Amino acid sequence: MAIIEIDRLKKSFGQNEVLKSITFSVEKNEVVAVIGPSGSGKSTMLRSLVHLEKIDGGSIVIDGEYLAKDGHYPKAKDIRAITAKTGMVFQHFNLFPHLTVQENLEMAPRLVKKQEKQALRQKSSELLQKVGLSDKAEAMPNSLSGGQKQRVAIARALMMNPELLLFDEPTSALDPELTGEVLKVMKDLAREDMTMIVVTHEMAFAREVADRVVFMADGEIVEAGTPEEIFDNPQHERTKAFLSKNYK
Amino acid sequence: MSFDYFMSVLKPMLTGAQMTLLLFFITIVLSIPLGFLVMLAQKSAFKPLAWLAHTFVYVMRGTPLLLQLIVVCFGLPVIPGIGEYLVLDRFTAAGIAFVLNYAAYFAEIFRGGVLSIDKGQYEAAQVLGFNKFQTLTRIVIPQMFRIALPALANESITLMKDTALLYAVAVPELLHYAQTAVNRDLNFFPFVIAGVIYLLLTAVLTFIFKLLEKKFSFE
Repeated sequence: MAIIEIDRLKKSFGQNEVLKSITFSVEKNEVVAVIGPSGSGKSTMLRSLVHLEKIDGGSIVIDGEYLAKDGHYPKAKDIRAITAKTGMVFQHFNLFPHLTVQENLEMAPRLVKKQEKQALRQKSSELLQKVGLSDKAEAMPNSLSGGQKQRVAIARALMMNPELLLFDEPTSALDPELTGEVLKVMKDLAREDMTMIVVTHEMAFAREVADRVVFMADGEIVEAGTPEEIFDNPQHERTKAFLSKNYK
Repeated sequence: MSFDYFMSVLKPMLTGAQMTLLLFFITIVLSIPLGFLVMLAQKSAFKPLAWLAHTFVYVMRGTPLLLQLIVVCFGLPVIPGIGEYLVLDRFTAAGIAFVLNYAAYFAEIFRGGVLSIDKGQYEAAQVLGFNKFQTLTRIVIPQMFRIALPALANESITLMKDTALLYAVAVPELLHYAQTAVNRDLNFFPFVIAGVIYLLLTAVLTFIFKLLEKKFSFE
């Protein structure tokens, strides 16, 4: 069953049409990698799925409910309920700098889901252990390395028990030697059947971990398929040109 | 100079310092929340309110505090028709002028603090399901406050010294008693004492704000 269905998604910034008519869906437990040149609309597409961008036309269905139908949105409260199933990890982490790592993890479920303190403490400890940062619970985000920050951000997203996790270029702001630790956590999640859409420039990761690869350019999906199809036997010239530059 | 003379000058000045401190605390306690509300009004989507708030800040920052003090003390009572209801005792009038003036400055300090909060903070809060109120109280205000602390410290120290403007509307405060003693004894020394007392007061403020900065550090 598809957890997310996008139908003829359209989005413009002024005169600039960034998403021309995007249609695709993601099945439960699937890992989809979205690749493509900068400015192709990958991030805008991803952000529109959690209502960080408002679409101008088309529909988004998440777990059977319309986030947007023909470009129209429901009430703010309904939007919050629908997008609550989706977690997001940002390029620049966006941790809350005034809170400790532990508080970063626990604040949202405590305030939004009214979960109990004790259960939250246990869960945050488990997740910090999972991302290898048990010793950083009391640390402030600014004292962490980029890779550590991103792992905290992933743990923070997981605290909300998302059905679907979106990654917006999660390793692009990291020093090359720090990307490995973040990608490893993401691989672990994929192995546990977390449904994920990953906008990435890490071609090796996309090839190894994704069930399906979507190549976007100029606001359109040029081609989609299994990693083998896209990386070994791309059909379109634009895909070939992109891969010859970015994937050796 | 005898110790007795020193004490005889110091005593009334300490009484005056109480007035200084009273005005300081009243202004701080009222103008910080008021400044915060003015900042929210400036950012309001309801344009007349935003316009009103901007105009308020413009007028309060664009004219001397001394002039505002004089207007509230002596100007309001001479407004035809309603003036007679606007006769306030000098200290109350001065307090109103100080609170309004400092609220305008604090509003701008807070606005600067909010502006420097990264857009990603709002996005993260939204994706985590925070509503607007939760985002404001849990994410924006704490960060704004931390970012604004050095500027708040600066402004508070200025306020401590600005209380000397009470002198102009004849409310007896620290500097008033110093001046009285200087005139009476033809001795400059009371001014030196006044300066030292101001330095002590601002030293305490500096210390308190250093502690706050440390406590709310992002590190």
